[in-house]
Amino acid sequence: MSDMTWVPVANASDLAPRHVFQGRLLGQELAIWRADDGNVNVWENRCLHRGVRLSIGVNTGSELVCQYHGWRYANRNAGCTYIPAHPADAPPHTICNRTWPALEQDGLIWTHFAPVDPPRPESLGAGALALRPQPVAAAPELARAVLAGLSPEGFGPLGQDLVASGPAGRLRLMVQAADAGRAVLRGLVLSDEAPLPLLRRLSLVLRLARDEIERRAATLPVPAPIPHRSERVAPELAEMPEMVSGPARIRVRVAKKQIVGEDIVALELAGLRGTLPASQPGAHIDVALPNGLLRQYSLVNAPGETDRYVIGIKREAQSTGGSAAIHDSLAEGDLLAISEPRNNFTLRRDAEETVLIAGGIGVTPLLSMAAALRDEGLPFTLHYFAASAETLAFGERLALLGERMVPYLGLDAAQTTLALQGILKGPGADRQVYVCGPAPMLDAARATAAEAGWPEAAVHFEYFANTREIDTSSSFRIELARSALSLEVPAGRSILSVLQEAGVAPPSSCSQGACGTCMVRLLEGEPDHQDVYLTGAEKAAGEKILTCVSRAKSDRLILDL
Amino acid sequence: MPTLYDFDLSADCYKVRLLAAILGIPYDRHNVDFFPGMKHLSPAFLAVNPLGTLPVWDEGDLRLCSAHAILVYLAERHAPGGPWLPRDPALAGEVQHWLGFAEGLATSAGAARLAAGMEFDLDLAAAQARAHQLFERMDEHLWFREREGGNWLCRTLQPTLAEIACFPDVMLSEEGGIAREDYPALRRWSDRVKRIPGFEVMPGIFPAKIGA
Amino acid sequence: MSPQTQPDPFMRDQWYPVSALQDIAAGTPRVTKLFGQRVSYRREADGACSASTEDRALPVLQRYGCLWTSLGTPGELFEIPEYTEADRRNVAAGTVAVQVSAQRGIENFLDMGHFPYVHTGILGALPHTEVKEYNVEETPDGREIIATECLFYQPMASTVSTSGADVEYIYRVPHPTCSVLYKSSPLDEKRLDVIALFGQPTGEESFRGHMVLSILDDVNTDDFISYFQLHIFGQDKPILENQMPKRLPLDPRAETPIRADKTSIMYRRWLTRHGATYGVIPAQG
Repeated sequence: MSDMTWVPVANASDLAPRHVFQGRLLGQELAIWRADDGNVNVWENRCLHRGVRLSIGVNTGSELVCQYHGWRYANRNAGCTYIPAHPADAPPHTICNRTWPALEQDGLIWTHFAPVDPPRPESLGAGALALRPQPVAAAPELARAVLAGLSPEGFGPLGQDLVASGPAGRLRLMVQAADAGRAVLRGLVLSDEAPLPLLRRLSLVLRLARDEIERRAATLPVPAPIPHRSERVAPELAEMPEMVSGPARIRVRVAKKQIVGEDIVALELAGLRGTLPASQPGAHIDVALPNGLLRQYSLVNAPGETDRYVIGIKREAQSTGGSAAIHDSLAEGDLLAISEPRNNFTLRRDAEETVLIAGGIGVTPLLSMAAALRDEGLPFTLHYFAASAETLAFGERLALLGERMVPYLGLDAAQTTLALQGILKGPGADRQVYVCGPAPMLDAARATAAEAGWPEAAVHFEYFANTREIDTSSSFRIELARSALSLEVPAGRSILSVLQEAGVAPPSSCSQGACGTCMVRLLEGEPDHQDVYLTGAEKAAGEKILTCVSRAKSDRLILDL
Repeated sequence: MPTLYDFDLSADCYKVRLLAAILGIPYDRHNVDFFPGMKHLSPAFLAVNPLGTLPVWDEGDLRLCSAHAILVYLAERHAPGGPWLPRDPALAGEVQHWLGFAEGLATSAGAARLAAGMEFDLDLAAAQARAHQLFERMDEHLWFREREGGNWLCRTLQPTLAEIACFPDVMLSEEGGIAREDYPALRRWSDRVKRIPGFEVMPGIFPAKIGA
Repeated sequence: MSPQTQPDPFMRDQWYPVSALQDIAAGTPRVTKLFGQRVSYRREADGACSASTEDRALPVLQRYGCLWTSLGTPGELFEIPEYTEADRRNVAAGTVAVQVSAQRGIENFLDMGHFPYVHTGILGALPHTEVKEYNVEETPDGREIIATECLFYQPMASTVSTSGADVEYIYRVPHPTCSVLYKSSPLDEKRLDVIALFGQPTGEESFRGHMVLSILDDVNTDDFISYFQLHIFGQDKPILENQMPKRLPLDPRAETPIRADKTSIMYRRWLTRHGATYGVIPAQG
């Protein structure tokens, strides 16, 4: 039995809704499951964390959840989307389960272990029925030899290719090599006979064949099982990983562009090949636009919506070319380069209640959060501030939230503050707040929350952009502790650009102190924080600095680089 | 209030707890330390049930000492004419067939679990082999039931006592070293049983929803 | 895995529990397995216990409610000072056989993150899933691992309250297949209950877990305490028996640890440093 062809490993009917099928091919245990969108996943049957079989876990329709610690893996890309033991951290992208290709044809699920897809198996024809699979405790080669000698009534002798045609119709049997000493007899039949009696008759044929195979196997030595082989995890994951991700470039195609609100378009970005990396609620991607600009957009995706990234873009009146380029120039079918999703706005799921507050197009990451919370049955409310009913974005997604979406339309600054005071009245234990919107609204929310006594750690902000004026007048030295370099940062240039010139720069993205990508550890010196990313407490602690906009109040900074 | 003489890890006792949970029947739980204490053989318990078996259902002057007898009693007492014990002659016969089948599961898969986990002096290999035979018959039966559009062991639209009687020893089989990988239709049926409204778990069995 | 696999010296030269003392009646010998070998043990008329393989007598020790023996030359058994405190109740709560390596069993015993998922409503409850930062270190003599300031949310945290709260745990690993857990007593917040799991490796991929408690509880019966421990252990069992591979992999890249797993990371390194090969998959090179 070659592992370089497509092999049937399940019947399509085995993949019941919200069920996880347990399979095996060449000693490799498989967890096979169908998501609610119809996609079939063929994965290694093992949680990457502690090796527990995923087949005892739960298929939520969009994710597979491990029974042991609740790790969640996304439909299609198998990336880990949430690690409940660390609710505030985004799991690294490299935590990704092992997957194999899936093909659904003739009522069977097929997979293969070859490096590239082999030719599709020949179809038996429309209307083919999959037989009841029959497990056998014997070597697959022996099973094959016995089947080749069969001549089922109405079909005639099978022969070496295990295919027979006769008055009853056409029959093809197959042997799934589960392990060195285990096989599953599978088959397809195309016939005009009534299905149920035919399937019963052929089920009996396979059962009797099984008895004969096992009778012969009893005289032979029992083959040793194929040893369990798992891929080693990435080296950086082996030692209590820091939660970081690299700036990988991904090519995508604009699969759909549609208007989802006044002056708001949604783009659906599909991967050119393979699956897109997993994303989590709150994540954003960098989009390299055709006009050379790099812009960050939050993903709107709901759990399991993994075949594409969905972003929403509002045409900004003072557009510097980003939103205008998308609205006016970008068309369906265009290609774009994007980054892997990054997450600075992680959704904790250990709160008793979650309060989501959106201003305008800032609703995008909160839509993703709301969908995740809804799927898990966790309590939340989305408070959505917008200029008018027409500017509410993504109406279809909002409709799914029902009464848990509360709109606030056409409020001025004072009315907005009043509404925020109502929403943020009295912090509760185990409540978490997520706010995304324009800077004035975020500032108002920050002040309101502070007045109401919310702990800083319970209120999370995502700025679209840092609208503050960056003061670049200072000049100072930076010393790089690990690289043993000393560099001068003159007025008018950022730490980041000096680091880039020296070839020791951290990854970076927004260049305006909003995304947190270029953050490094500060070992000594007094920072001049000009970003909107770090919390007040983090700024006061002085242990981290965003190198793209922040500078020094002291003569020098020592960075952990 | 009726009293259930109960052992937490017993598949037979779980049958009674499961049906009582689904039907919303209140009862007092009297824990009998079957393992490791062997208190089912204590004089105190032998006075309750001279057979020394669990579970025992004690309600007024009624004392029932077998799981399936208790299931039949509870279904007729609390849901007479309901789906759990159909009155239709053919279906009533089918339910009885599966109650008998479940006895076979208890003396095979159930015995393997006692031998492997609690080290009872039983023939583990023989019990495992018999359990595999029964599981295969069940899997085949359920596979064809699905082809007929059915979800349950009997030809009913709703689950019956057959489900309650067979489910525990099937779900706990891995503790007896009996994997269910070869029985996909049996695994799907188990998933459906877990979704019956009012379903409750016992140690060794996970709910259909994470952390429920 | 062949049952004839020999234990490495580190594993061999330890004391192992083979039975709760209360389960050994005078007279009839009982048989169990240690490292795949048949071991028989008995209690003599004078109360002394003995143990032997087919060809030799083995050393024995009666401690912490168990009979301990060894196939090698063991040193001192670790101390649990609380066990001798006069006002404590010592309860042997049961022995359960599990088809997975003893070290997998210990690692599960050290883990808090699974409480809301596996011990739902008892030791944890959704959505309270966070494993907060805690400390873990080896004792200066390298003989034992200690994790302190371990906090985890527990519903109905004490017998006097119906609401949940963080409960503090201390974990000790003084032996490759034994762990001792300290947890604030529901009756006296200033003192700690002791819950120990003593693992008896019957084979490379199977062990018997002996559960022993030393607690301040003067309310619950022994039967109830045993019921509770078996309930918890019964919930862990299907997880343990569905772990692949069944032996504990010591290669740091075999599985994916997170910060919450600091104790098990240290435990795996500690096993590697002591040259453990039995019941584990040693790291390559």
